[in-house]
Amino acid sequence: MNRILLSRRGFLTSACCLAAAPVFTPLTFAAMPGDNRFVTIVLRGAMDGLDLVQPYGDSGFAALRPTLALTPDKGLLDLDGHFGLNPAAAELMPLWKSRELAFVQAVSTPYRDQRSHFDGQDMLESGGEHVAEERTGWLNRALAVIPRSDARKAIDINTSTELILSGPNNVDVWASDSNLPPARDEMQFLARLYAGDPPFAEALAEATRADTASMMIEPDGQRGEKTADVAALAANMLKGDYRIASFSITGWDTHIGQAGQFKRPVQDLAQAINTLKTTLGPEIWAKTVVLAMTEFGRTVRQNGSGGTDHGTGGCAVLSGGAINGGRVLGRWPGVSDGQLLDDRDLMPTADVREVAAAMLYRQFDVGMDDLTGKIFPGLGFDKGSQFLKV
Amino acid sequence: MSLSFPTMAAIRFGYGFRPGEAAPQSKDELIGQLSKGAAATPDFPLGGPDMRHRAILSLQAQLKQIRQDATTVTDDATRREMRKAVQRQAQQQFQHDVNLRLMQAVLSPYGFYERLSTFWTDHFSTSANKSLPMRLIVPLYEAEAIRPFISGRFGDLLRSATAHPAMLIYLDQADSLGPESAGGIKRNKGLNENLGRELLELHTLGAGSGYTQADVTAAAMVLTGLTIDRKEMDIAFRPNISEPGEHQVLGVSYGGRRRSREDYLDMLDDLAVHPKTAAHISRKLAVHFVSDQPNEGMVFDMAAAWKRTDGDLTAVYTAMLDHPAAWQNDGAKARQPFDFVVAGLRALNAGPVNGVVGSFLAANQQGTEEGDMAANTPGMAGAPVTTDPAGEARDKRLKAFRTARALGQGALRRMGQPTWLPPSPAGFEEGFSAWITGSQLAERLAWVRRAVTQFGRDEDPREFLKSTLADAARDETIRVVSQAPNKVSGLTLVLASPEFNRR
Repeated sequence: MNRILLSRRGFLTSACCLAAAPVFTPLTFAAMPGDNRFVTIVLRGAMDGLDLVQPYGDSGFAALRPTLALTPDKGLLDLDGHFGLNPAAAELMPLWKSRELAFVQAVSTPYRDQRSHFDGQDMLESGGEHVAEERTGWLNRALAVIPRSDARKAIDINTSTELILSGPNNVDVWASDSNLPPARDEMQFLARLYAGDPPFAEALAEATRADTASMMIEPDGQRGEKTADVAALAANMLKGDYRIASFSITGWDTHIGQAGQFKRPVQDLAQAINTLKTTLGPEIWAKTVVLAMTEFGRTVRQNGSGGTDHGTGGCAVLSGGAINGGRVLGRWPGVSDGQLLDDRDLMPTADVREVAAAMLYRQFDVGMDDLTGKIFPGLGFDKGSQFLKV
Repeated sequence: MSLSFPTMAAIRFGYGFRPGEAAPQSKDELIGQLSKGAAATPDFPLGGPDMRHRAILSLQAQLKQIRQDATTVTDDATRREMRKAVQRQAQQQFQHDVNLRLMQAVLSPYGFYERLSTFWTDHFSTSANKSLPMRLIVPLYEAEAIRPFISGRFGDLLRSATAHPAMLIYLDQADSLGPESAGGIKRNKGLNENLGRELLELHTLGAGSGYTQADVTAAAMVLTGLTIDRKEMDIAFRPNISEPGEHQVLGVSYGGRRRSREDYLDMLDDLAVHPKTAAHISRKLAVHFVSDQPNEGMVFDMAAAWKRTDGDLTAVYTAMLDHPAAWQNDGAKARQPFDFVVAGLRALNAGPVNGVVGSFLAANQQGTEEGDMAANTPGMAGAPVTTDPAGEARDKRLKAFRTARALGQGALRRMGQPTWLPPSPAGFEEGFSAWITGSQLAERLAWVRRAVTQFGRDEDPREFLKSTLADAARDETIRVVSQAPNKVSGLTLVLASPEFNRR
């Protein structure tokens, strides 16, 4: 360890107390038993669930996607005789076999007929029933009603706040490659400079908290910005005091040449999930649920340029040691004539918010009334939900 | 008005103060910048538009050659090397353009015009990441399709942005064919509705304004035929891939048995003067310049000016500046990263002619990355021909180039706002909370320290505070800066202050 780092440590242990309460001590740094973890991954750009989890057993499917549909003899990885996994996600197969992976087909938010990424993501992240109904994120609102106060600590791994964790409850935002420069005596001046301006004072406190936490994890300060780095940082934060983490994977807007374009984000997703598992280690992974979800699915027919356009019904991905996976969940609506929504989209048969609600209920005992009232207004959800059995 | 007019004009409607440059004293002066800015040639793209058109064709030719060679050259390593050399050239040009784009904003005396250029380039977002040729096309797009049109009629801006190769490539229009057109049937390809959708959702009416999926599909149908000539890298209209028949967009019918360019132009003109477009974009301007929650009266006045003048943008900007709310609640907005970096470099840019920052960045336009130095082979029009000095001079130049990049594009990337690389067709985030976070602040502090060390040697923090913030400086900031433990800290605190990060 070099001198700069030592002085930096010195700075962190003394100066951080000025701006914020120290959150990490050697005692609390170790994982405490009985604490569940929850990770959300927002797949931005409308992930084509029919490409990831292909209904090759549905006789109508192949004709609608002449160049995109695969079969097991063309590399598709069979899941259950009806659905098969895109070969780009091969690295997820071990999790499927160990029942730590499940897919939910034909889900969507209540968003219909407009197919705007931005409204779609706002709905997905705000958890409301209508566009712009909720201004804060559902995961942030959930923090207020998690019964155990020590499970309310959340981190958003991004350069700027994402809606899903935005809101009145305290959440730290940290980019995987951020570093607060070692300002030492300057910290006191900065604290004074921001004293009269709450958003700036809070940003400084947040920077100090998150920098302290990430310094403890990776003392050499070497952090990258690749998906695996983001997932590793999320996992390391979850090994400490954080119980909830969220990040995004982009690159899903495949209007053109999808067969090639789809691979990278799929591999990113597989890598993110595997990195979470290995970094968390078996004990914590066993208490972890990862929910990856997207704003809507894509058209069932491929378009004129080998891609797909914006659709409705999509697919959510669940993983983690805490689930009973190895299954494709959800009610399959079919893709034959008359089974599509507006004759173009996969018909949604369940609300993706129900999947999220089920995970909040199982992981943190969030009450039913809170789930259907405060967190996901208008959601139909009760103890009979199929997603509670995952 | 809480602050003096020149302060509000410089900080809210421009890129802040620059020593030696007079801030606007009146609304007429601010509006006067629009025609002057539009008349001036921007610093980018490198070598000017004509040379850039040639460079794009040259790149196309090289890519074609590589594809042809692929059939005869079987050696993978050789093919990879050829491809890499072309990629390096394009990437290098892009780096130069990004630097020039930054310098344009730092050095231009027409801050309001520059801010509007940034706004509209973001409104009609395209990304240089879409393909290799786009590294060269997107800077040209801003220079020739956006900047000359931002003080005239919105309809003309909409036409020029929509029908530029950058937009046609970015939103996949170049690959959209009418499914029932002769070309579509022959090639067994069809519609791609990406541009049709974003045209309604982002560029004109706005999301949730009442159009339907049928309108989106019909708009995409009307746009079929509009494509690019890949050989010339220019727009083309091809009736044989244009979907025949009439298509109803928002109840108006476009097209007929024979389809022509006029159909989509008529549709763009109608969308440009649609009341929902006027309301959507007036609000977006007000949000960008004045407040995340803009004054409704101001938005109404702007939309009314739009309606009165059929979308004359100068009239819309004037309506914004004429409303009292434009001059109230200073500091309501967060400076976005590009605004912050440009304002910081302007504040530090004392000295004759282009100042220290300008001279530094200009000198480093000739520098390049170590890996790129080998790639300075002639062949691409517009590529700077640089010699390859050895030893100390080379090391020094490399270091300076890296500093320039770290202060410019490198910092913008880390702060989440890399130039010409927006995350989506909706452009960059707008709201205060997106930009004032812990990691954002950490990046800004790191940038400030580096910039101040590089350019602030001769500054006295107290004088610097006055020239940078004028009457926007709060008492507390004046006090903290004057007590700073050293000069670098003092200068750092000025640029780290809330009032410098707000506008």
